Amino acid sequence: MQKRIVLDLDLCCGCRSCEAACKAAFKGEARIRHGDIAGVAYLPLACKHCKQPLCLASCPVEAITKDDNTGLVTRSAMVCIGCKSCAFACPFGVIDAPLVRHISQKCSLCADRDEGPRCVAACSSGALQWLSDEEIEQHEVGMRMVSKDLFFRRKA
Amino acid sequence: MKNIDPKTITIKRALCPFCSFGCEFGIIFNDFGIKGVEYVKDGNSNGRLCPRGSAAAMYLDHPRRSTMPLKSGKAVVWSKMAKELRKVVGSPKSVAVTFDRNVTPEEYAAIVGFCDSVGIGYTASTYFEPEHNLRPFLEKPFAPADLDKAKIAFVLGDIFNQAPMSSRAIIEWKMKDKKNELIAIDSLNTHTAGFASQFLRVNIGTEPLLLLALAQENLDGVDIAKVTGIDARVVKELSNKIKNSSKGVIFASLPFGHTYDPGLYAESLDRMHEFSGMKVVPFVEFAGYEGSQPFVSIMEMVKRKKIKNLINFGELFPFYYPQLAGSLKGLNIYATSTLKHTDHTLLPVPLSLEKEGTVVTTFGKRKLTGNIEPPSGAKSVEAILSMLSSGSSTGKMPHAVEKKIDVKERARRIAEITETKKKSFKLVGEKVAYNFLGFLEGEILKINPYDATELGIGADDIVTIKSKYDAADLPVRITEDVDQGLLAAPAETPAVRGLFEYEIDSELQAVNFIPTEVKICRKG
Ligand code: SF4
Ligand code: SF4
Ligand code: SF4
Ligand code: SF4
Repeated sequence: MQKRIVLDLDLCCGCRSCEAACKAAFKGEARIRHGDIAGVAYLPLACKHCKQPLCLASCPVEAITKDDNTGLVTRSAMVCIGCKSCAFACPFGVIDAPLVRHISQKCSLCADRDEGPRCVAACSSGALQWLSDEEIEQHEVGMRMVSKDLFFRRKA
Repeated sequence: MKNIDPKTITIKRALCPFCSFGCEFGIIFNDFGIKGVEYVKDGNSNGRLCPRGSAAAMYLDHPRRSTMPLKSGKAVVWSKMAKELRKVVGSPKSVAVTFDRNVTPEEYAAIVGFCDSVGIGYTASTYFEPEHNLRPFLEKPFAPADLDKAKIAFVLGDIFNQAPMSSRAIIEWKMKDKKNELIAIDSLNTHTAGFASQFLRVNIGTEPLLLLALAQENLDGVDIAKVTGIDARVVKELSNKIKNSSKGVIFASLPFGHTYDPGLYAESLDRMHEFSGMKVVPFVEFAGYEGSQPFVSIMEMVKRKKIKNLINFGELFPFYYPQLAGSLKGLNIYATSTLKHTDHTLLPVPLSLEKEGTVVTTFGKRKLTGNIEPPSGAKSVEAILSMLSSGSSTGKMPHAVEKKIDVKERARRIAEITETKKKSFKLVGEKVAYNFLGFLEGEILKINPYDATELGIGADDIVTIKSKYDAADLPVRITEDVDQGLLAAPAETPAVRGLFEYEIDSELQAVNFIPTEVKICRKG
């Protein structure tokens, strides 16, 4: 069953606990990063583990692969040559161009942790959730792309 | 855990000691030592942790963790240090004992008892954070039901960045009922303000004045609208709304260097409570203790050369208040610390995370598990004290003296400060959990786009900030979240904290760190 990280825009308070959890676990750059979206929102972005990953397509040495069962897109640290092609190819900008230790940072959906992603576990507001495709469909969060409360994200 | 032999992994439960929220987590150990933090679903916060909690393992294992006594940066063995300290306490009249943060109530009792038994008369708090003033409010612990019942809630400061764990309950409460109103008061636009139903963006440092006006205090001669920047009609409407709204909650979380008068801040919260019946919930990192004297009298005794040695228990003083160095000249300081510093004489101690005992949280008292071993060279407070004297006694705990403050006079003073418009910049302190002790990210200075353009500062430039005490280089973030003439930086490390100006509050005999005049220029 493929599970994904889903962000509920109404809940995220921008505290970066998710980012810190990732950074602390992987002792480097966080793989979930905050982006300022047109000065209106400041929200975390992580790898979407795309159905047709452009990072994978762009990688000259096939360091990036997609697991058909789990949907997970992984990058092999051994194979990666640090050419930054994936960083430029990713439409979401989730791979950071300044590379740490000369290899690209790539979210692994915390495949090393049975309980699932650390960023989701740490999320202070419950905005990040770890849901299967079916759960996403049933969950209103999957469809909510804009905030439902008029005052949220209001900048003075 | 996959890929690792489960037999080699141990998870030790602990209570996060970095703020008064008291979240629980696990520290993962393998054969090689500390591996990381585990998010425990059945813990106090359901596994959720703010950046400080996630960084706990990094802190335990930090390369700067202090493991040996240091004299001006040079390692000394404990036996030699004990001998020196015994000599110092042998002349108790010339010694002061102080305490800041990372001291449990049990350790505090032991310290007070020790001072009593050896005849040290000068004890004082060296915890100068504004939250120190909010201690009385912690006596009535917060329960989530308090918020459930509320229709209105105030937030002072950026609580979602300072104590992110508060966000879930507050956001859910607000979403539960459209009529639930969240009102943010701050001089900076913040994430918390972005969630509020109403954001009262006050002029810097004037938060207490707005609270007093909401509590309908008579402040003759002070034009509240002009001083705070909030329209008198808005204040009046809101004030009428909250009168007798005994089910409301006020979350107080103004950080270091953010307001001109931390004493008035506490008093204004008290008056708001009296006026409206709303519950005041302080979000603090630590509450501090009462000493037998205010620290100001110790400063005076140092000046008169009566006190020559000071032993501090905790982890902030004097390292995080470098601007006090001038007024403590000639004083020999012995300070416990969890991180290495090269100044003064440093005594390595365990983190609260590694202690057994009690912590006072926003939700009441909680137990520290003592499950995690401190570094071998760190000695507990009790162990240090027993090296210094053979006997032990339970000393009399000093009690806070009721102090009346002149609200009108203080309000007038803030009005005066804000009225004298200067061309220079004011630096205010922020508290951002992600900037925890500089482990996760260095401090970032926020500057208004107009000011940045005028000074020729571009995004990601490094700027030099100069105050009358020191200078610091910081990367900038250009944002309208700060008004023109205002700069904001998280006051986490000694480099930034050391820029802030302090004032002696003669009425409360307190040391206050306030918004500070600074010069700014692009580096290079
Ligand atoms: S790195 Fe970018 S392109 Fe690649 S799978 Fe993740 S989101 Fe898709
Ligand atoms: S799932 Fe794990 S690796 Fe991916 S962003 Fe979250 S914490 Fe980082
Ligand atoms: S931890 Fe949760 S609330 Fe905080 S920034 Fe990340 S997604 Fe948003
Ligand atoms: S909210 Fe406080 S107690 Fe909880 S993880 Fe953060 S610092 Fe620790």
